[in-house]
Amino acid sequence: MSLCTLHNVRFAGMATCVPKRVFHNIDDAPPKIRSERQRLARNIGIYTRRLCPDWQTFSDLAFEATEKLLAELQWNKADIDALIIVGQSPDYLIPATAIILQDRLQLPQTTIAFDVNLGCSGYPFGLHLVGSMIAAGAIKKGLVLVGDRAGEEKDPLFSDAGTATALEFDASAPPMHFDLNSDGSGYQAIMLPVGGHREPVEISDLVGRRDEGGYWRFGTDLVLDGPAVLSFSTQRIPPAVEKILSHVGMTKDEIDYFIFHQANRMINETIRKKLGLPEEKVPSTLRDFGNTSGASLPVTMTARLRETLSQGKHRLLLCGFGIGLSWGTAIVDIDSAVFPALIEA
Amino acid sequence: MDTQSMVTVEQFIEQFLAAVDFQDPVEVKSGTKLADLPEWDSLAALATIVLFDTEYGKVIVGPDIKKCETIDDLYALLG
Repeated sequence: MSLCTLHNVRFAGMATCVPKRVFHNIDDAPPKIRSERQRLARNIGIYTRRLCPDWQTFSDLAFEATEKLLAELQWNKADIDALIIVGQSPDYLIPATAIILQDRLQLPQTTIAFDVNLGCSGYPFGLHLVGSMIAAGAIKKGLVLVGDRAGEEKDPLFSDAGTATALEFDASAPPMHFDLNSDGSGYQAIMLPVGGHREPVEISDLVGRRDEGGYWRFGTDLVLDGPAVLSFSTQRIPPAVEKILSHVGMTKDEIDYFIFHQANRMINETIRKKLGLPEEKVPSTLRDFGNTSGASLPVTMTARLRETLSQGKHRLLLCGFGIGLSWGTAIVDIDSAVFPALIEA
Repeated sequence: MDTQSMVTVEQFIEQFLAAVDFQDPVEVKSGTKLADLPEWDSLAALATIVLFDTEYGKVIVGPDIKKCETIDDLYALLG
């Protein structure tokens, strides 16, 4: 399955929570790599990031976002039928974090709760999953919690965020369109190679070495093949956007905003230019919030568009892409949704 | 007409230097070895891939760049 349309699903609201702690990619880097960091920040477009302190997890951020969203929606917790986490930063390897949050949020035990292991591409997949349950008539109200705690001081790219999106059954809701794809042949492009059953942690993986900036590197660190990710993103995403627009018979002019996963400036600008989209229709939060993995779409919608999306009707094209490899696009009409101000916790 | 016949190596070097955005200015001319450029790094490789894609409509990948020793080898990728 690739292209599909869901009916009777209303986008009711969204909340985003980021850590209070601001990390500056240049000023907070060791002095001997600051010149290199200036060039890096300029090119990846990321100057500040939000990093969780040691005690804080993704689920702490998602908890705050969900509580705020439910309060502003004035939804009764007893009416929540599903709580799905889309992310790769569980509290524990097992059990699923969504189940722990069911209790912490005091949602009923009748809530369907589980985690979905997707990263940067995850947002459209999460909307599709809960949207499908609603469209099928299986549930009435559902929450999708998307995000990660992927940020580290030593890595200038990733930043932390937790988000909550509320979907509900509404027979008068406009259709949501999706195009969701997977290419496992690229699984090595972004991965944590060590720590699973294929390659368990060895003692040697825990012996660090200092890099040129003085940061410790370990065998358990994330591995990212930059050129492979760049090529994947800039070659696959523009045609994917054209494909879904063509499938639903819309032109780019009929889309109010194009929200892309905030990967890095080089990738995002290449995609924007290839699609011929004006800057004002493609909001960005890279400069202030970095790459927040699957949360980057909600972060951008909240930080840049929340007042706009709170009033009237707007059509958004949402596109996530990355680890997997995996990429998904959705066209969603948002009408007077609830958008609490960005939460800092 | 292929791309290489439309762009001289000098023009290519100019665009290459703008793309890689080195922090410290460096002289690059035909014959310059990439390994001799202090800031020829993974970021510069990404910028080169984007340059080929957006300026010349040419798709190159990481391994193509790894095979290049000199600026002329990169220029030859224009084909």
